Amino acid sequence: MAIKTILCIEDDRFIGEMYVRSLKKAGYDVQWVVDGEDGLVAARNKPYDLILLDIMLPERKGTEILSALRGDGKDLIPTTKIIVLTNFEQDEESRAVMQRGVDAYLIKAEITPKKLLAVIDKLATL
Amino acid sequence: MAITSQPAMVRDYWPRYRRRALVITIFMQIAATIAIGSTLVAAGVLVPTPAFWVTIFAILATTLGVNILLATQLLIPLKNLTSALTHISGEPTVITPPSPNAQSFERDGFKPLLQLIYQLAAGDITATQAPAAAIATHATNFTTALDNAAIGFVIMNVQQQVSYANKKAPVHITPQGATVLDLLFEADDTLTAWLKDCEEHAVHAEHTWQRVANKIVGEDDRKIYDVVASYQKGSEAEVVISMFDRTATYQPEDDSLDFLAFAAHELRGPITVIRGYLDVLGDELGSQLSADQVQLMQRLVVSANRLGSYVNNILNASRYDRRHLKMHLAEDSIANIYSSISDDMQLRASSQNRLLAVHIPPDLPTVAADSASVGEVISNLIDNAVKYSNEGGAVDVTARADGDFVKVAVTDRGIGMPGNVISNLFHKFYRSHRSRETFAGTGIGLYICKAIIESHGGKIEVRSREGEGSAFEFSLPIYATVAAKLQAASGSNEELIRRQEGGWIKNHAMFRG
Repeated sequence: MAIKTILCIEDDRFIGEMYVRSLKKAGYDVQWVVDGEDGLVAARNKPYDLILLDIMLPERKGTEILSALRGDGKDLIPTTKIIVLTNFEQDEESRAVMQRGVDAYLIKAEITPKKLLAVIDKLATL
Repeated sequence: MAITSQPAMVRDYWPRYRRRALVITIFMQIAATIAIGSTLVAAGVLVPTPAFWVTIFAILATTLGVNILLATQLLIPLKNLTSALTHISGEPTVITPPSPNAQSFERDGFKPLLQLIYQLAAGDITATQAPAAAIATHATNFTTALDNAAIGFVIMNVQQQVSYANKKAPVHITPQGATVLDLLFEADDTLTAWLKDCEEHAVHAEHTWQRVANKIVGEDDRKIYDVVASYQKGSEAEVVISMFDRTATYQPEDDSLDFLAFAAHELRGPITVIRGYLDVLGDELGSQLSADQVQLMQRLVVSANRLGSYVNNILNASRYDRRHLKMHLAEDSIANIYSSISDDMQLRASSQNRLLAVHIPPDLPTVAADSASVGEVISNLIDNAVKYSNEGGAVDVTARADGDFVKVAVTDRGIGMPGNVISNLFHKFYRSHRSRETFAGTGIGLYICKAIIESHGGKIEVRSREGEGSAFEFSLPIYATVAAKLQAASGSNEELIRRQEGGWIKNHAMFRG
């Protein structure tokens, strides 16, 4: 599935700008929101090809956004891929729960923008 | 004419039995009298005079009367039982059913019997009043005692459903009414898996789990237990589980990890930004940089990457100490694992003027490995080799198959170590006197390397000679030798086994820069 539109939910301005800058340069259509509530609204309103989801967010945590979109056996965004990008060290159980609902789970400190582009490319070919 | 056989009715039993009982009584009495009379005559004790016959008949009449009366009396309870049973059988009958409230029944103690019959007929299966009361008292005592006990206590029946849980037991009741244990076992060591194993291989068994929580971190009322289960095949209480609440002991340790987790989060933020912007800048500036500026950029990148590795080491060590270091083993090759850190390693070596030579044969058997963690091990070993070798020195990474293992070695020709240092090398925070004075470091790298490799079922060893260099070699099990075991374990955790070509990217290892 080709990936064109990306929603980036990231509250850290430096990190957000970094992703947006390199994703736009790579030709993606990127929308960036900084709080969880806006992120959930945006994800519901438009079918993005990909959502980059942080966990520690103001207003609404990434885990809550994920369960609102893909909890209780439903999937409001079946055509959208989700990459969790976090530096937060979740415990094993919570991480396992999130991992089941997403397409990739990455530690931000390990992922430079270039590597992120490589992951997105790989996801697009799956 | 057709013969019709009437089905036996409950009400028919009593008259027939009564008749037979009386006939037998009369017959036996007459027979006994005749036998005694003839014996007396035959023996010549008595002569059959008219007086003799009168006496015989008088005795016969009296004993007959007494015995018929006695038999009738003895048959009364049977009569009452059968009439009660006839009544509850629903057969048409003119007999009045015996009333449990009759005074005579109260006097002779027949009342409870009648009540039992009527209650059983009414479907009240708890009707066994007297013993039930006794059992109930015992049960209440036990229940009270168990509810007051400091441990959680659960009994499972042969179907392995919870048949009893005391107050302290962490359970919840499903909408279907089943009681379910709230215990979050480690994916590769669950109660269910153990029970399955017991069913297949054991008659009696016991197992202990430590640090089993009832809820995930962050939820209210989270408790951490040590759990002991005993299994006795076929018993009413086939599985008995005791749960000792150890929250007070384990929680402070968990809290300190929470602190580390938050601290790591804080550290990782700036690291993300530094590494990310270096990446962006490297791309965007590209050709504009002079050769020495490129080198400065590389040093920045290497340092930022190392900073990231240190944070990972600290997190891994704290996870390991809490026994939360988890390896997600999957089939992978050393070459593939190394390729994910190759660029970073080359940069680290070259920026410090070391010559990194890697010889990993492409045809080595695959290993069972958590690729991110093994990458961290190799990266730590190369870091050390770079650190403890000389400017311009060579660092070799080699791999070979050896029995059921693949062995990977990182060798330098640097300063080496004396024997007394080697024995302490893998201890946490251990740093030799010499290295404390000369080199930076936390003393945590080799500790975590050992933890990671041993969690894989491998070993890490070192050979070193002072002044000649060191060789660190670790082993990982060849995938084929452990595949069956891993696949069996994956029943409870589908993520445990992932083939590299799987459609799901779990780990950052492949994309580490």
